[in-house]
Amino acid sequence: MAAADTRADFRTRMQNWLPKIVLAPSVTLMLIFVYGFIFYTIYLSFTGSRMLPSYDWVGLRNYENLFRLSHWEIAITNLGIFASLYIIICTLIGLSLAIFLDQKIRGEGFLRPIYLYPMALSFIVTGTAWKWLLDPGIGIEATMQTWGFTEFTFNWIKDRDMAIYTIVIAAVWQTSGFVMAMFLAGLRGIDNEILKAAQMDGASNWSLYRRIIIPQLRPAFLSAFVILSHLAIKSYDLVIAMTDGGPGRATELPATFMYSYTFTRNQMGIGASSAVIMLMTIAAIMIPYLYAELREKK
Amino acid sequence: MARAVTTQRKAINTTIAWAIGLLIFFPILWTILTSFKTEGEAVANPPVFLFFDWTLENYAVVQERSNYMRFLWNSIIIAGGSTLLGILVAVPAAWSMAFVPSKRTKDILLWMLSTKMLPAVGVLYPIYLLCIELGVLDSRAALVVILMLINLPIIVWMLYTYFREIPGEILEAARMDGAGLKEELLYILTPMAVPGIASTLLLNFILAWNEAFWTLNLTAVDAAPLTAFIASYSSPEGLFFAKLSAASTMAIAPILILGWFSQKQLVRGLTFGAVK
Repeated sequence: MAAADTRADFRTRMQNWLPKIVLAPSVTLMLIFVYGFIFYTIYLSFTGSRMLPSYDWVGLRNYENLFRLSHWEIAITNLGIFASLYIIICTLIGLSLAIFLDQKIRGEGFLRPIYLYPMALSFIVTGTAWKWLLDPGIGIEATMQTWGFTEFTFNWIKDRDMAIYTIVIAAVWQTSGFVMAMFLAGLRGIDNEILKAAQMDGASNWSLYRRIIIPQLRPAFLSAFVILSHLAIKSYDLVIAMTDGGPGRATELPATFMYSYTFTRNQMGIGASSAVIMLMTIAAIMIPYLYAELREKK
Repeated sequence: MARAVTTQRKAINTTIAWAIGLLIFFPILWTILTSFKTEGEAVANPPVFLFFDWTLENYAVVQERSNYMRFLWNSIIIAGGSTLLGILVAVPAAWSMAFVPSKRTKDILLWMLSTKMLPAVGVLYPIYLLCIELGVLDSRAALVVILMLINLPIIVWMLYTYFREIPGEILEAARMDGAGLKEELLYILTPMAVPGIASTLLLNFILAWNEAFWTLNLTAVDAAPLTAFIASYSSPEGLFFAKLSAASTMAIAPILILGWFSQKQLVRGLTFGAVK
Protein backbone atom coordinates (compact mmCIF):
# COMPACT_ATOMS: atom_id res chain seq x y z
CA MET A 1 0.00 0.00 0.00
CA ALA A 2 2.73 2.42 0.95
CA ALA A 3 4.64 1.66 -2.22
CA ALA A 4 1.60 2.46 -4.34
CA ASP A 5 1.20 5.69 -2.44
CA THR A 6 4.70 6.89 -3.13
CA ARG A 7 4.28 5.93 -6.75
CA ALA A 8 1.09 7.92 -7.07
CA ASP A 9 2.76 10.74 -5.23
CA PHE A 10 5.68 10.66 -7.63
CA ARG A 11 3.30 10.66 -10.54
CA THR A 12 1.37 13.70 -9.44
CA ARG A 13 4.59 15.49 -8.68
CA MET A 14 5.87 14.57 -12.13
CA GLN A 15 2.68 15.82 -13.69
CA ASN A 16 3.07 19.10 -11.88
CA TRP A 17 6.68 19.52 -12.81
CA LEU A 18 6.75 18.11 -16.31
CA PRO A 19 5.13 21.15 -17.99
CA LYS A 20 7.74 23.42 -16.44
CA ILE A 21 10.59 21.10 -17.32
CA VAL A 22 9.62 20.85 -20.98
CA LEU A 23 9.06 24.57 -21.23
CA ALA A 24 12.48 25.32 -19.83
CA PRO A 25 14.66 24.59 -22.89
CA SER A 26 12.79 27.01 -25.15
CA VAL A 27 12.74 29.76 -22.57
CA THR A 28 16.41 29.26 -21.68
CA LEU A 29 17.47 29.25 -25.32
CA MET A 30 15.62 32.48 -25.94
CA LEU A 31 16.92 34.11 -22.79
CA ILE A 32 20.51 33.42 -23.77
CA PHE A 33 20.04 34.06 -27.43
CA VAL A 34 18.14 37.29 -27.07
CA TYR A 35 19.20 38.95 -23.86
CA GLY A 36 22.63 37.41 -23.40
CA PHE A 37 23.65 38.26 -26.93
CA ILE A 38 22.09 41.69 -26.90
CA PHE A 39 23.91 42.54 -23.69
CA TYR A 40 27.12 41.43 -25.34
CA THR A 41 26.45 43.77 -28.27
CA ILE A 42 25.69 46.62 -25.88
CA TYR A 43 28.92 45.86 -24.03
CA LEU A 44 30.90 45.86 -27.30
CA SER A 45 29.49 49.26 -28.17
CA PHE A 46 31.33 50.68 -25.14
CA THR A 47 34.67 49.14 -26.08
CA GLY A 48 37.33 50.05 -28.59
CA SER A 49 36.79 46.84 -30.61
CA ARG A 50 37.90 47.02 -34.19
CA MET A 51 38.46 43.86 -36.21
CA LEU A 52 38.24 41.61 -33.17
CA PRO A 53 36.55 42.34 -29.88
CA SER A 54 38.74 44.03 -27.36
CA TYR A 55 37.71 44.77 -23.84
CA ASP A 56 39.10 48.23 -23.21
CA TRP A 57 36.30 50.44 -22.00
CA VAL A 58 35.95 53.66 -23.99
CA GLY A 59 32.68 54.94 -22.58
CA LEU A 60 30.44 56.77 -25.03
CA ARG A 61 33.18 57.47 -27.56
CA ASN A 62 31.72 55.14 -30.19
CA TYR A 63 28.37 56.88 -29.96
CA GLU A 64 29.99 60.28 -30.25
CA ASN A 65 31.93 59.14 -33.29
CA LEU A 66 28.87 57.46 -34.78
CA PHE A 67 26.83 60.64 -34.76
CA ARG A 68 29.68 62.59 -36.26
CA LEU A 69 29.88 60.29 -39.29
CA SER A 70 28.23 61.64 -42.42
CA HIS A 71 27.77 58.02 -43.46
CA TRP A 72 25.52 57.37 -40.46
CA GLU A 73 23.71 60.63 -40.98
CA ILE A 74 22.86 59.50 -44.52
CA ALA A 75 21.70 56.14 -43.18
CA ILE A 76 19.31 57.59 -40.60
CA THR A 77 18.04 60.31 -42.94
CA ASN A 78 17.32 57.60 -45.50
CA LEU A 79 15.60 55.52 -42.86
CA GLY A 80 13.44 58.53 -41.97
CA ILE A 81 12.40 59.07 -45.59
CA PHE A 82 12.01 55.39 -46.30
CA ALA A 83 10.11 54.46 -43.14
CA SER A 84 7.64 57.33 -43.24
CA LEU A 85 6.79 56.94 -46.93
CA TYR A 86 6.71 53.15 -46.65
CA ILE A 87 4.39 53.11 -43.64
CA ILE A 88 2.01 55.77 -44.98
CA ILE A 89 1.77 54.44 -48.55
CA CYS A 90 1.46 50.80 -47.49
CA THR A 91 -1.29 51.65 -45.03
CA LEU A 92 -3.21 53.70 -47.61
CA ILE A 93 -2.87 51.13 -50.40
CA GLY A 94 -3.48 48.22 -48.05
CA LEU A 95 -6.65 49.79 -46.67
CA SER A 96 -7.95 50.73 -50.12
CA LEU A 97 -7.28 47.26 -51.46
CA ALA A 98 -9.01 45.70 -48.47
CA ILE A 99 -12.10 47.90 -48.82
CA PHE A 100 -12.08 47.13 -52.52
CA LEU A 101 -11.72 43.39 -52.10
CA ASP A 102 -14.52 43.48 -49.57
CA GLN A 103 -17.04 44.47 -52.31
CA LYS A 104 -17.84 40.88 -53.24
CA ILE A 105 -15.24 40.39 -55.90
CA ARG A 106 -15.47 37.30 -58.06
CA GLY A 107 -12.58 34.93 -57.47
CA GLU A 108 -11.46 36.59 -54.26
CA GLY A 109 -10.04 33.33 -52.97
CA PHE A 110 -7.80 33.21 -56.00
CA LEU A 111 -6.78 36.86 -55.84
CA ARG A 112 -5.83 36.97 -52.17
CA PRO A 113 -2.78 34.71 -52.48
CA ILE A 114 -1.66 36.67 -55.54
CA TYR A 115 -1.79 39.92 -53.58
CA LEU A 116 0.17 38.18 -50.85
CA TYR A 117 2.82 36.56 -53.02
CA PRO A 118 5.36 39.40 -52.96
CA MET A 119 5.56 39.08 -49.18
CA ALA A 120 6.05 35.31 -49.33
CA LEU A 121 8.96 35.40 -51.75
CA SER A 122 12.57 36.06 -50.94
CA PHE A 123 13.26 39.81 -50.93
CA ILE A 124 16.58 39.05 -52.56
CA VAL A 125 14.86 37.54 -55.60
CA THR A 126 12.15 40.18 -55.92
CA GLY A 127 14.69 42.93 -55.27
CA THR A 128 16.78 41.61 -58.14
CA ALA A 129 13.74 41.56 -60.41
CA TRP A 130 13.00 45.19 -59.50
CA LYS A 131 16.59 46.16 -60.11
CA TRP A 132 16.27 44.97 -63.69
CA LEU A 133 12.84 46.48 -64.20
CA LEU A 134 14.05 49.87 -63.00
CA ASP A 135 17.35 49.78 -64.87
CA PRO A 136 17.14 52.55 -67.48
CA GLY A 137 19.07 50.50 -70.04
CA ILE A 138 16.77 47.47 -70.18
CA GLY A 139 13.76 48.04 -67.95
CA ILE A 140 10.72 50.28 -67.98
CA GLU A 141 12.54 53.31 -69.40
CA ALA A 142 13.98 51.46 -72.40
CA THR A 143 10.65 49.77 -73.11
CA MET A 144 8.66 52.99 -72.99
CA GLN A 145 11.17 54.66 -75.30
CA THR A 146 10.95 51.94 -77.94
CA TRP A 147 7.18 52.12 -77.73
CA GLY A 148 7.49 55.68 -78.95
CA PHE A 149 7.58 57.65 -75.71
CA THR A 150 11.08 58.91 -76.44
CA GLU A 151 10.84 61.62 -73.80
CA PHE A 152 10.07 59.09 -71.07
CA THR A 153 12.81 58.85 -68.48
CA PHE A 154 12.80 56.81 -65.32
CA ASN A 155 16.34 56.48 -64.09
CA TRP A 156 15.77 57.00 -60.38
CA ILE A 157 17.75 53.92 -59.46
CA LYS A 158 20.89 55.53 -60.90
CA ASP A 159 20.12 58.96 -59.47
CA ARG A 160 21.65 59.77 -56.09
CA ASP A 161 18.75 61.96 -55.05
CA MET A 162 16.00 59.62 -56.16
CA ALA A 163 17.41 56.13 -55.60
CA ILE A 164 15.93 55.80 -52.10
CA TYR A 165 12.46 56.21 -53.61
CA THR A 166 12.96 53.17 -55.80
CA ILE A 167 13.51 51.19 -52.61
CA VAL A 168 10.22 52.63 -51.35
CA ILE A 169 8.46 51.51 -54.55
CA ALA A 170 9.74 47.95 -54.30
CA ALA A 171 9.07 47.76 -50.56
CA VAL A 172 5.52 49.07 -50.98
CA TRP A 173 4.92 46.50 -53.71
CA GLN A 174 6.26 43.85 -51.39
CA THR A 175 4.11 44.63 -48.38
CA SER A 176 0.86 46.25 -49.57
CA GLY A 177 -0.95 42.98 -50.19
CA PHE A 178 0.05 41.80 -46.75
CA VAL A 179 -1.26 44.97 -45.13
CA MET A 180 -4.41 44.45 -47.17
CA ALA A 181 -4.84 41.02 -45.58
CA MET A 182 -4.56 42.61 -42.13
CA PHE A 183 -7.22 45.20 -42.88
CA LEU A 184 -9.43 42.68 -44.65
CA ALA A 185 -9.46 40.56 -41.50
CA GLY A 186 -10.41 43.68 -39.56
CA LEU A 187 -13.21 44.53 -42.00
CA ARG A 188 -14.62 41.04 -41.82
CA GLY A 189 -14.66 41.26 -38.05
CA ILE A 190 -17.02 44.23 -37.97
CA ASP A 191 -20.50 43.46 -36.76
CA ASN A 192 -22.94 43.36 -39.66
CA GLU A 193 -25.88 44.40 -37.50
CA ILE A 194 -24.41 47.82 -36.84
CA LEU A 195 -23.86 48.38 -40.55
CA LYS A 196 -27.36 47.27 -41.43
CA ALA A 197 -28.82 49.55 -38.81
CA ALA A 198 -26.81 52.49 -40.13
CA GLN A 199 -27.89 51.76 -43.68
CA MET A 200 -31.53 51.64 -42.59
CA ASP A 201 -31.05 55.05 -41.08
CA GLY A 202 -29.98 56.24 -44.51
CA ALA A 203 -26.23 56.51 -44.01
CA SER A 204 -24.37 56.85 -47.30
CA ASN A 205 -21.54 54.51 -48.19
CA TRP A 206 -19.00 57.24 -47.57
CA SER A 207 -20.22 58.12 -44.10
CA LEU A 208 -20.57 54.43 -43.34
CA TYR A 209 -16.86 54.04 -43.89
CA ARG A 210 -15.82 57.30 -42.31
CA ARG A 211 -17.93 57.09 -39.18
CA ILE A 212 -18.32 53.39 -38.47
CA ILE A 213 -15.92 51.17 -40.35
CA ILE A 214 -12.63 53.09 -40.22
CA PRO A 215 -12.92 53.90 -36.49
CA GLN A 216 -13.58 50.23 -35.81
CA LEU A 217 -10.35 49.33 -37.60
CA ARG A 218 -8.26 51.07 -34.96
CA PRO A 219 -6.60 47.85 -33.73
CA ALA A 220 -5.72 46.92 -37.33
CA PHE A 221 -4.15 50.36 -37.87
CA LEU A 222 -2.13 50.00 -34.71
CA SER A 223 -0.76 46.57 -35.52
CA ALA A 224 -0.09 47.59 -39.13
CA PHE A 225 1.93 50.52 -37.83
CA VAL A 226 4.00 48.42 -35.44
CA ILE A 227 4.64 45.68 -37.97
CA LEU A 228 5.51 48.07 -40.79
CA SER A 229 7.85 50.12 -38.65
CA HIS A 230 9.79 47.14 -37.41
CA LEU A 231 10.05 45.86 -40.99
CA ALA A 232 11.31 49.27 -42.09
CA ILE A 233 14.01 49.45 -39.42
CA LYS A 234 15.10 45.90 -40.18
CA SER A 235 15.19 46.44 -43.97
CA TYR A 236 18.28 44.87 -45.35
CA ASP A 237 17.66 42.29 -48.08
CA LEU A 238 15.87 44.61 -50.47
CA VAL A 239 18.60 47.25 -50.39
CA ILE A 240 21.33 44.67 -50.80
CA ALA A 241 19.60 43.17 -53.82
CA MET A 242 18.55 46.41 -55.50
CA THR A 243 21.33 48.95 -54.98
CA ASP A 244 23.75 47.56 -52.40
CA GLY A 245 23.58 50.96 -50.72
CA GLY A 246 24.46 52.83 -53.89
CA PRO A 247 24.80 54.78 -56.05
CA GLY A 248 27.54 56.05 -53.78
CA ARG A 249 25.90 55.88 -50.36
CA ALA A 250 22.54 57.15 -51.55
CA THR A 251 20.48 54.20 -50.33
CA GLU A 252 22.44 53.27 -47.23
CA LEU A 253 20.17 52.24 -44.33
CA PRO A 254 21.21 51.54 -40.71
CA ALA A 255 21.32 47.77 -41.25
CA THR A 256 23.60 48.05 -44.29
CA PHE A 257 25.66 50.67 -42.47
CA MET A 258 26.22 48.26 -39.62
CA TYR A 259 27.21 45.55 -42.03
CA SER A 260 29.78 47.66 -43.86
CA TYR A 261 31.28 49.01 -40.63
CA THR A 262 31.70 45.50 -39.36
CA PHE A 263 32.87 43.50 -42.29
CA THR A 264 34.54 45.94 -44.66
CA ARG A 265 35.82 48.66 -42.32
CA ASN A 266 36.56 46.59 -39.23
CA GLN A 267 35.00 49.10 -36.85
CA MET A 268 33.21 46.72 -34.53
CA GLY A 269 32.72 49.25 -31.75
CA ILE A 270 30.97 51.73 -34.02
CA GLY A 271 28.99 48.96 -35.70
CA ALA A 272 27.81 47.75 -32.29
CA SER A 273 26.74 51.22 -31.26
CA SER A 274 24.68 51.55 -34.45
CA ALA A 275 23.06 48.19 -33.67
CA VAL A 276 22.19 49.42 -30.17
CA ILE A 277 20.53 52.52 -31.63
CA MET A 278 18.40 50.31 -33.91
CA LEU A 279 17.48 48.05 -31.00
CA MET A 280 16.41 51.01 -28.92
CA THR A 281 14.31 52.46 -31.74
CA ILE A 282 12.41 49.21 -32.20
CA ALA A 283 12.01 48.78 -28.45
CA ALA A 284 10.58 52.29 -28.21
CA ILE A 285 7.85 51.35 -30.68
CA MET A 286 7.31 47.80 -29.49
CA ILE A 287 7.16 48.11 -25.71
CA PRO A 288 4.19 50.52 -25.53
CA TYR A 289 2.36 48.34 -28.04
CA LEU A 290 2.97 45.13 -26.09
CA TYR A 291 2.03 46.88 -22.90
CA ALA A 292 -1.28 47.97 -24.40
CA GLU A 293 -1.89 44.46 -25.79
CA LEU A 294 -1.23 42.87 -22.41
CA ARG A 295 -3.49 45.23 -20.56
CA GLU A 296 -6.26 44.60 -23.06
CA LYS A 297 -6.06 40.84 -22.72
CA LYS A 298 -6.16 40.80 -18.94
CA MET B 1 -20.14 42.55 -45.10
CA ALA B 2 -23.44 42.14 -46.75
CA ARG B 3 -24.11 45.25 -48.71
CA ALA B 4 -26.15 45.60 -51.85
CA VAL B 5 -23.88 45.68 -54.87
CA THR B 6 -25.34 45.92 -58.35
CA THR B 7 -24.29 43.39 -60.96
CA GLN B 8 -22.68 46.03 -63.13
CA ARG B 9 -20.76 47.48 -60.22
CA LYS B 10 -19.63 44.01 -59.29
CA ALA B 11 -18.31 43.34 -62.80
CA ILE B 12 -16.35 46.60 -62.80
CA ASN B 13 -14.93 45.93 -59.35
CA THR B 14 -13.95 42.42 -60.32
CA THR B 15 -12.15 43.67 -63.43
CA ILE B 16 -10.22 46.28 -61.47
CA ALA B 17 -9.32 43.80 -58.75
CA TRP B 18 -7.94 41.39 -61.32
CA ALA B 19 -6.03 44.17 -63.05
CA ILE B 20 -4.40 45.09 -59.74
CA GLY B 21 -3.64 41.43 -59.15
CA LEU B 22 -1.94 41.24 -62.53
CA LEU B 23 0.02 44.42 -61.78
CA ILE B 24 1.20 42.99 -58.46
CA PHE B 25 2.09 39.67 -60.02
CA PHE B 26 3.80 41.25 -63.01
CA PRO B 27 7.42 41.39 -61.77
CA ILE B 28 7.18 37.74 -60.73
CA LEU B 29 5.49 36.72 -63.97
CA TRP B 30 8.07 38.63 -65.99
CA THR B 31 10.92 36.87 -64.22
CA ILE B 32 9.36 33.48 -64.91
CA LEU B 33 8.71 34.29 -68.59
CA THR B 34 12.19 35.68 -69.09
CA SER B 35 13.74 32.51 -67.78
CA PHE B 36 12.40 30.72 -70.89
CA LYS B 37 13.74 33.25 -73.38
CA THR B 38 17.08 33.43 -75.10
CA GLU B 39 19.40 36.19 -73.92
CA GLY B 40 18.59 38.18 -77.06
CA GLU B 41 14.86 38.00 -76.52
CA ALA B 42 15.25 38.74 -72.82
CA VAL B 43 16.52 42.23 -73.53
CA ALA B 44 14.67 42.64 -76.83
CA ASN B 45 13.17 46.03 -77.51
CA PRO B 46 10.20 46.17 -77.63
CA PRO B 47 9.93 43.30 -75.16
CA VAL B 48 8.30 40.07 -76.26
CA PHE B 49 5.61 38.86 -73.94
CA LEU B 50 4.53 35.34 -74.86
CA PHE B 51 5.47 34.80 -78.48
CA PHE B 52 9.08 33.75 -78.37
CA ASP B 53 10.88 30.47 -78.78
CA TRP B 54 10.47 28.87 -75.39
CA THR B 55 13.72 27.30 -74.32
CA LEU B 56 15.06 25.48 -71.30
CA GLU B 57 18.62 26.32 -72.19
CA ASN B 58 19.04 28.89 -69.39
CA TYR B 59 18.29 26.30 -66.76
CA ALA B 60 20.91 23.96 -68.17
CA VAL B 61 23.51 26.72 -68.38
CA VAL B 62 22.88 27.93 -64.84
CA GLN B 63 23.33 24.45 -63.46
CA GLU B 64 26.41 23.80 -65.55
CA ARG B 65 28.20 27.05 -64.83
CA SER B 66 27.58 27.56 -61.18
CA ASN B 67 26.59 24.18 -59.85
CA TYR B 68 23.14 25.40 -58.99
CA MET B 69 22.15 22.11 -57.39
CA ARG B 70 24.57 22.67 -54.55
CA PHE B 71 22.92 25.96 -53.59
CA LEU B 72 19.51 24.35 -53.87
CA TRP B 73 20.60 21.50 -51.66
CA ASN B 74 22.00 23.94 -49.08
CA SER B 75 18.71 25.82 -49.07
CA ILE B 76 16.75 22.63 -48.55
CA ILE B 77 19.02 21.42 -45.73
CA ILE B 78 19.11 24.76 -43.96
CA ALA B 79 15.39 25.55 -44.26
CA GLY B 80 14.26 21.98 -43.63
CA GLY B 81 16.77 21.26 -40.87
CA SER B 82 16.10 24.43 -38.90
CA THR B 83 12.35 23.91 -39.18
CA LEU B 84 12.46 20.31 -37.98
CA LEU B 85 14.84 21.13 -35.15
CA GLY B 86 12.63 24.05 -34.17
CA ILE B 87 9.55 21.83 -34.06
CA LEU B 88 11.38 19.33 -31.85
CA VAL B 89 12.34 22.01 -29.37
CA ALA B 90 9.01 23.81 -29.54
CA VAL B 91 6.46 21.00 -29.31
CA PRO B 92 7.07 20.27 -25.60
CA ALA B 93 7.04 23.97 -24.75
CA ALA B 94 3.84 24.62 -26.70
CA TRP B 95 2.24 21.49 -25.28
CA SER B 96 3.03 22.57 -21.75
CA MET B 97 1.65 26.08 -22.23
CA ALA B 98 -1.47 24.96 -24.04
CA PHE B 99 -2.54 22.14 -21.74
CA VAL B 100 -1.14 23.21 -18.41
CA PRO B 101 -1.43 26.99 -18.57
CA SER B 102 -0.22 28.98 -15.62
CA LYS B 103 -0.73 32.59 -14.69
CA ARG B 104 2.38 33.53 -16.59
CA THR B 105 1.64 31.69 -19.84
CA LYS B 106 0.25 34.70 -21.71
CA ASP B 107 3.18 36.86 -20.63
CA ILE B 108 5.75 34.26 -21.64
CA LEU B 109 4.14 33.91 -25.07
CA LEU B 110 4.00 37.61 -25.69
CA TRP B 111 7.57 38.00 -24.55
CA MET B 112 8.67 35.22 -26.90
CA LEU B 113 6.89 36.83 -29.82
CA SER B 114 8.31 40.25 -29.04
CA THR B 115 11.83 38.92 -29.41
CA LYS B 116 11.07 38.07 -33.04
CA MET B 117 10.60 41.76 -33.74
CA LEU B 118 14.07 42.73 -32.60
CA PRO B 119 16.56 43.41 -35.39
CA ALA B 120 19.03 40.67 -36.22
CA VAL B 121 21.88 43.20 -36.13
CA GLY B 122 21.53 43.22 -32.34
CA VAL B 123 22.89 39.69 -32.09
CA LEU B 124 25.13 39.61 -35.16
CA TYR B 125 28.42 40.13 -33.30
CA PRO B 126 28.14 37.45 -30.64
CA ILE B 127 26.92 34.91 -33.17
CA TYR B 128 29.56 35.83 -35.71
CA LEU B 129 32.33 35.66 -33.13
CA LEU B 130 30.99 32.43 -31.69
CA CYS B 131 30.98 30.90 -35.17
CA ILE B 132 34.61 31.90 -35.67
CA GLU B 133 35.52 30.56 -32.23
CA LEU B 134 33.86 27.21 -32.95
CA GLY B 135 35.13 27.11 -36.51
CA VAL B 136 31.62 26.77 -37.95
CA LEU B 137 31.52 29.86 -40.11
CA ASP B 138 30.15 28.97 -43.55
CA SER B 139 28.72 25.67 -42.34
CA ARG B 140 25.20 24.37 -42.80
CA ALA B 141 25.03 23.13 -39.22
CA ALA B 142 25.59 26.61 -37.82
CA LEU B 143 22.86 28.08 -40.01
CA VAL B 144 20.43 25.32 -39.07
CA VAL B 145 20.90 26.20 -35.40
CA ILE B 146 20.81 29.96 -35.92
CA LEU B 147 17.69 29.95 -38.09
CA MET B 148 16.06 27.58 -35.62
CA LEU B 149 16.71 30.08 -32.83
CA ILE B 150 15.53 32.99 -34.98
CA ASN B 151 12.21 31.31 -35.73
CA LEU B 152 11.69 29.49 -32.45
CA PRO B 153 9.35 32.15 -31.00
CA ILE B 154 7.05 31.93 -34.01
CA ILE B 155 7.12 28.13 -33.94
CA VAL B 156 6.29 27.88 -30.24
CA TRP B 157 3.55 30.41 -30.49
CA MET B 158 1.95 28.95 -33.62
CA LEU B 159 1.98 25.46 -32.16
CA TYR B 160 0.48 26.87 -28.97
CA THR B 161 -2.44 28.42 -30.84
CA TYR B 162 -3.09 25.17 -32.70
CA PHE B 163 -2.79 23.01 -29.58
CA ARG B 164 -5.21 25.23 -27.75
CA GLU B 165 -7.88 24.40 -30.30
CA ILE B 166 -7.76 20.77 -29.18
CA PRO B 167 -10.68 20.45 -26.78
CA GLY B 168 -9.69 19.60 -23.22
CA GLU B 169 -12.84 17.50 -22.69
CA ILE B 170 -11.41 14.81 -24.91
CA LEU B 171 -8.42 14.48 -22.62
CA GLU B 172 -10.62 14.32 -19.57
CA ALA B 173 -12.75 11.64 -21.14
CA ALA B 174 -9.63 9.65 -21.98
CA ARG B 175 -8.36 10.00 -18.43
CA MET B 176 -11.69 8.76 -17.10
CA ASP B 177 -11.26 5.71 -19.24
CA GLY B 178 -7.90 5.16 -17.62
CA ALA B 179 -5.56 6.47 -20.25
CA GLY B 180 -2.15 7.39 -18.90
CA LEU B 181 0.10 10.17 -20.02
CA LYS B 182 1.64 7.93 -22.63
CA GLU B 183 -1.65 6.84 -24.18
CA GLU B 184 -2.88 10.39 -24.02
CA LEU B 185 0.10 11.65 -25.96
CA LEU B 186 0.27 8.82 -28.43
CA TYR B 187 -3.36 8.13 -29.34
CA ILE B 188 -5.16 11.38 -28.69
CA LEU B 189 -2.90 14.39 -28.80
CA THR B 190 -0.57 13.40 -31.61
CA PRO B 191 -3.22 12.68 -34.24
CA MET B 192 -5.08 15.87 -33.35
CA ALA B 193 -1.93 17.95 -33.37
CA VAL B 194 -0.66 16.83 -36.77
CA PRO B 195 -2.50 19.44 -38.88
CA GLY B 196 -1.24 22.26 -36.67
CA ILE B 197 2.30 20.96 -36.77
CA ALA B 198 2.12 20.66 -40.55
CA SER B 199 0.95 24.26 -40.91
CA THR B 200 3.72 25.46 -38.63
CA LEU B 201 6.25 23.46 -40.61
CA LEU B 202 5.09 25.04 -43.83
CA LEU B 203 5.28 28.61 -42.60
CA ASN B 204 8.68 28.19 -41.03
CA PHE B 205 10.07 26.49 -44.06
CA ILE B 206 9.07 29.56 -46.07
CA LEU B 207 10.56 31.94 -43.51
CA ALA B 208 13.82 30.02 -43.35
CA TRP B 209 13.98 29.63 -47.11
CA ASN B 210 13.73 33.39 -47.58
CA GLU B 211 16.02 34.33 -44.74
CA ALA B 212 18.81 36.46 -46.13
CA PHE B 213 20.47 38.44 -43.35
CA TRP B 214 22.10 35.45 -41.71
CA THR B 215 22.72 33.42 -44.81
CA LEU B 216 24.42 36.34 -46.54
CA ASN B 217 26.53 37.29 -43.54
CA LEU B 218 27.58 33.88 -42.33
CA THR B 219 28.18 31.92 -45.52
CA ALA B 220 30.73 32.22 -48.25
CA VAL B 221 30.97 29.16 -50.46
CA ASP B 222 30.27 25.85 -48.79
CA ALA B 223 27.00 26.56 -47.06
CA ALA B 224 25.67 29.32 -49.33
CA PRO B 225 21.96 28.79 -50.10
CA LEU B 226 19.94 30.17 -53.02
CA THR B 227 19.50 33.63 -51.50
CA ALA B 228 23.27 34.06 -51.41
CA PHE B 229 23.52 32.67 -54.93
CA ILE B 230 21.01 35.15 -56.34
CA ALA B 231 22.55 38.03 -54.42
CA SER B 232 25.96 37.24 -55.82
CA TYR B 233 24.58 37.40 -59.35
CA SER B 234 22.40 40.44 -58.93
CA SER B 235 24.99 42.67 -60.57
CA PRO B 236 24.34 42.88 -64.30
CA GLU B 237 27.89 41.82 -65.17
CA GLY B 238 27.68 38.52 -63.37
CA LEU B 239 25.00 36.60 -65.15
CA PHE B 240 22.87 37.46 -68.11
CA PHE B 241 19.30 38.45 -67.62
CA ALA B 242 17.65 35.27 -68.86
CA LYS B 243 19.98 33.09 -66.81
CA LEU B 244 19.48 35.17 -63.70
CA SER B 245 15.73 34.83 -64.25
CA ALA B 246 16.10 31.08 -64.54
CA ALA B 247 18.01 30.97 -61.26
CA SER B 248 15.43 33.24 -59.60
CA THR B 249 12.54 31.17 -60.89
CA MET B 250 14.02 28.03 -59.44
CA ALA B 251 14.57 29.83 -56.15
CA ILE B 252 10.95 30.98 -55.85
CA ALA B 253 9.16 28.01 -57.42
CA PRO B 254 8.82 26.02 -54.17
CA ILE B 255 7.50 29.10 -52.37
CA LEU B 256 5.01 29.89 -55.14
CA ILE B 257 3.55 26.45 -54.52
CA LEU B 258 3.83 26.32 -50.72
CA GLY B 259 2.70 29.93 -50.38
CA TRP B 260 -0.59 29.12 -52.03
CA PHE B 261 -1.44 26.64 -49.30
CA SER B 262 -0.14 28.62 -46.39
CA GLN B 263 -1.42 32.13 -47.04
CA LYS B 264 -3.44 32.10 -43.80
CA GLN B 265 -0.48 31.03 -41.70
CA LEU B 266 1.69 33.56 -43.46
CA VAL B 267 -0.55 36.45 -42.44
CA ARG B 268 -1.01 35.02 -38.98
CA GLY B 269 2.69 34.43 -38.45
CA LEU B 270 3.97 37.67 -39.91
CA THR B 271 1.51 39.80 -37.96
CA PHE B 272 2.46 38.03 -34.72
CA GLY B 273 -1.09 36.91 -34.20
CA ALA B 274 -2.67 40.32 -34.70
CA VAL B 275 -4.67 38.66 -37.50
CA LYS B 276 -6.23 35.35 -36.63
